[in-house]
Amino acid sequence: MSSLSLPIETDRLILRTFERSDIDGLGAYHALPSVQRYVFTRTRDTSEVAGALNTMRSHVSLQRPGDTLTLAMVRKGDKVLIGHVSLHWSDATAGQGEVRFCINPAYAGQGFSREALSAVYDLAFDHYRIHRVFARCDGRNHHSIKLMQQMGMRLEAHYREHALFQGEWDEELHFAILDREWQRSSKVKDLPVRHRVA
Amino acid sequence: MSLYPNYPLRTERLTLRPFTRGDVDAVFAYRRREDVARYLFDTSLSREECALAVQQRIGQVALEAEGDKIILGVELADSGVLIGEVSLIWRSVEARQGEVGWIFDPDYQGRGYATEAANAMLDLAFGPGDIHRVSARCDVRNESSWRLMERLGMRREAHFREHAIFKSRWDEEFIYAILWQEWQTLRAAQTPS
Repeated sequence: MSSLSLPIETDRLILRTFERSDIDGLGAYHALPSVQRYVFTRTRDTSEVAGALNTMRSHVSLQRPGDTLTLAMVRKGDKVLIGHVSLHWSDATAGQGEVRFCINPAYAGQGFSREALSAVYDLAFDHYRIHRVFARCDGRNHHSIKLMQQMGMRLEAHYREHALFQGEWDEELHFAILDREWQRSSKVKDLPVRHRVA
Repeated sequence: MSLYPNYPLRTERLTLRPFTRGDVDAVFAYRRREDVARYLFDTSLSREECALAVQQRIGQVALEAEGDKIILGVELADSGVLIGEVSLIWRSVEARQGEVGWIFDPDYQGRGYATEAANAMLDLAFGPGDIHRVSARCDVRNESSWRLMERLGMRREAHFREHAIFKSRWDEEFIYAILWQEWQTLRAAQTPS
């Protein structure tokens, strides 16, 4: 496996690992109730943002199963931190990876999450040779559901009342996509064949 | 809530009771078969492995803590012949989750015995067990198993594709489930008023 080359550039975004100086940018959205509504590990108020940032700063590569890579979504031009995406290597033998994502609601609805996720899927399938990428979300989280569908993912599970989540019965969806199903972005397709073959 | 059922559990044609040391040969008769092992995590078992499996099952008769299992031998009430086993696993204490499973001797298939025994396990889970949701899973190719889940009134909640490796090949798995309120509605409809 060649070494990971960061940052990743997309049409409108720079995806890079988190830095100490991201504390204000992260604080602008990470503890908002609407952002925290459906997340697994909660950051309840601004005092907990520093701890969350420390964790995210340690997510710099996938060396072994269980590792997570978390990338800040930074808008080109004004360099504003608008959200983050992560890729978790959950299983090595079966090549499984899980993505999670978060966006500052002020920048939602413009396709930034989709753009960032596409780059992360390219990374997962082409660089990390992951076989299947999956994502979980709450059954009421319509923004995530729509995004997963736009990404071409398949709804594989719809659990009802299978667990308690934040004191209520949980309803959880699993979406997934296999390596052979993922439509690479046009830029990758344009590369000469020898660059695509590992 | 812990669960210590009174054994045996009786259905119309069957007796569900804890395993005993005398069950080894009857268990070996079907667990030795390749067609029984195909979709189980185990391979086909030797007689020694069956003795060990029976030994483990003898103590699996109550739910006291998360992860505990009740595994019962299923006997024909008439003849006393052991035709398989049914199980109930306590998956989550806090969220009151259970999982049912079964293994049956193919020689006795097609007569509704598995449905009868599995329904008794659902009644145990939702009744005295105070479980909120019961799930079951199987390989997608194991049609007799997921057909049984549908007969029990369970809904297909998941269809995972290539999410794991099973016996050196990509796994494809169904997960079915039924909630307490769905089981209640089902039983109310089945009971003549």
